[in-house]
Amino acid sequence: MINTITEILKTLCEKDGVAGYEDEVRNTISELAAPYAESMVTDALGNLIVLKKGGNRREKPLVVSAHMDEVGFLVSKITENGMIKFLTVGSIDPRVMIGRKMKVGYKKLPGVISLKAIHLTTPAERKVAPGASSLYIDIGASSKAEAERYVRIGDPCYFDSPFEEFGDMRIKSKAIDDRVGCAVMLALMQKDLPYDTYFVFATNEEIGGSRGAMTAAIRLKPGRFLTIEGTTACDVPEVPLHAQSTTQGLGCVVSIMDKGSVYSRDLLRHFTALADKEGIKWQYRRSANGSTDARGFHSAGSGCKGMGIATPTRYIHCACNVVYKPDIEAVYKMAELFVKEGF
Amino acid sequence: MTLKEKIKTLGNLYGVSGDEFAVAQKAAELLAPYVDKVDIDKFGNVTGYKSCGKEGAKKLLLDAHIDEIGFLVTGITEEGFLHFMGIGVDQRMLPGSTLNVMTKKHGNLLGVVGAVPPHLQAPGENTKSLPIEKLYVDLGMPCEKVKEMVSVGDYMTFTSRAFDLLGDQICGKSFDDRACFCCILHALELLKDKELNVDLIITGTTKEEIGGHGASYRAYCERPDLAVAIDVCHARTDDNLPSDRVQELGGGPVITIGTNSLPRMAKMLMEAARGKEIPFQLSSAPAHTGTNAWSMQIIEEGCATLVVSLPLKYMHSPVEVIKMSDVENTGRLLACLAMDIDRRWQL
Repeated sequence: MINTITEILKTLCEKDGVAGYEDEVRNTISELAAPYAESMVTDALGNLIVLKKGGNRREKPLVVSAHMDEVGFLVSKITENGMIKFLTVGSIDPRVMIGRKMKVGYKKLPGVISLKAIHLTTPAERKVAPGASSLYIDIGASSKAEAERYVRIGDPCYFDSPFEEFGDMRIKSKAIDDRVGCAVMLALMQKDLPYDTYFVFATNEEIGGSRGAMTAAIRLKPGRFLTIEGTTACDVPEVPLHAQSTTQGLGCVVSIMDKGSVYSRDLLRHFTALADKEGIKWQYRRSANGSTDARGFHSAGSGCKGMGIATPTRYIHCACNVVYKPDIEAVYKMAELFVKEGF
Repeated sequence: MTLKEKIKTLGNLYGVSGDEFAVAQKAAELLAPYVDKVDIDKFGNVTGYKSCGKEGAKKLLLDAHIDEIGFLVTGITEEGFLHFMGIGVDQRMLPGSTLNVMTKKHGNLLGVVGAVPPHLQAPGENTKSLPIEKLYVDLGMPCEKVKEMVSVGDYMTFTSRAFDLLGDQICGKSFDDRACFCCILHALELLKDKELNVDLIITGTTKEEIGGHGASYRAYCERPDLAVAIDVCHARTDDNLPSDRVQELGGGPVITIGTNSLPRMAKMLMEAARGKEIPFQLSSAPAHTGTNAWSMQIIEEGCATLVVSLPLKYMHSPVEVIKMSDVENTGRLLACLAMDIDRRWQL
């Protein structure tokens, strides 16, 4: 199964889509989901809602959700010299932008974000990290007119960082957050499921507010929900275990609460006990920071109980997200337990 | 292979100062068709000889360095991450990038330079750059395995692969200074079947980034009458201050004038360039030019030196940018120099 998920993940990571520009990702997911879908709807916000028929109907819909969008950039201005100024879509530390190769605009023109040479800076200057507003993307254009032949204000831009497997069962790519959730859902969809299940590939997660998930929740009025995320793993040197939030190799991440949601204690206890019985590795998310699409499902309409699981992801929100394949497999197995339950 | 492909090929190879052999092999291969003989010495310097066949001919040495900036592994943490140091690299280029770890027995490994996620940072933290001592390379392997494969002292390089930008510009690592080696190759292409009055010695030298040791060694062996260091110089970028000493990308080769790029010779070269309508720019250098000309000038009884530079943006980054017209014009200028040398030059 992990090979199937890895293959899907590669396909999805090679697509680009910031909030509001998820078309390419959605089209690819639609193609991959089509053979297994009873019905597919793309709503006004761009959410892709797929119904997978199971052996039995449920009283109230069960929704499994992951978001399609990734963090990235929008062109905000083209300078007289043909340089591309940008705004970030979602939160990106400006320090991870410098020296990176970019894909610019709909034509995906190669470009770079860099700084003038080290030789022209003082040690004091090098201690300061420039903000995103002072950075620019250089596509090689020498004038505004030349750049405008290829790029317009409002065009999306992305890190150009290939999907690569490395080290001990590790994967490195941009956009693993949250294509990894989408890949797990697509793999799950390929299985015969005991009950009808809705799969929501949501938009607009990275800009906060779970606006994509919210509207999908109101449409579907789920009885239970499961969100599948890529979440911060800070299991790196000098960070003690309790401050790592999540740790690679410890398996599927189970959230207790974050700034958007409180997850159902009943579900959490039930499924972690079941996971223990099945020998599925899991860990708590040892942080209450951040927010996910669970917020939308949790609080839309008259509310809904649900669970949030995730793959621990190092260096999230930069060009090189890193995940550990056995963790993804554990997430898949936990999700499988969830959709097999007869809520 | 086109000129551009040659630059990309050499740029994509890995060869940090002190271990340039892989680059030397390829450079020698590219040089061979243009010269009578090619050697690679024990330093890894590549030398090609093209004789004019005239007795008592003077020796003109054209040099570019083939090493690149890089990093050294300085430690392995108990979690299996690498501590490292860099030479000549702006630490602000590194978080969220990948590096290539060159192990002795296990080939090249991909490593990711970690960065603290925004969710775990204190407010305002992201306005300070992360010092290199605080960064680490993640190989995605447990400590025992890392210790088995990687040693303290192993080299690391940027991983970027060269690609095209608009305006006939290309972007990649190590164009400093392998693009200049290709400028020399272009000059040799232009000099094919031309009658010369000088013997040409072409060197692709090592260890420039740590002091020009490879070039000293070659100059000592070859005793040229005139040695020309072809290296990169800063091209203007959008974040330059008016006080930054920069040249224009696309403005053509830069002729340096000063004590390390002899004023009399530099003027002869300008005159020759004007005669052939080759665009060029000027730069004055009161002392050290930061090139191999500095070390070559004082070999034994000394030799005449010139510095010719290729404008390059974002030097010492994984995304150096050059313009092909500058490469071509630098090649033309060098060919013009080789053709122009006669008695007036008083070598």
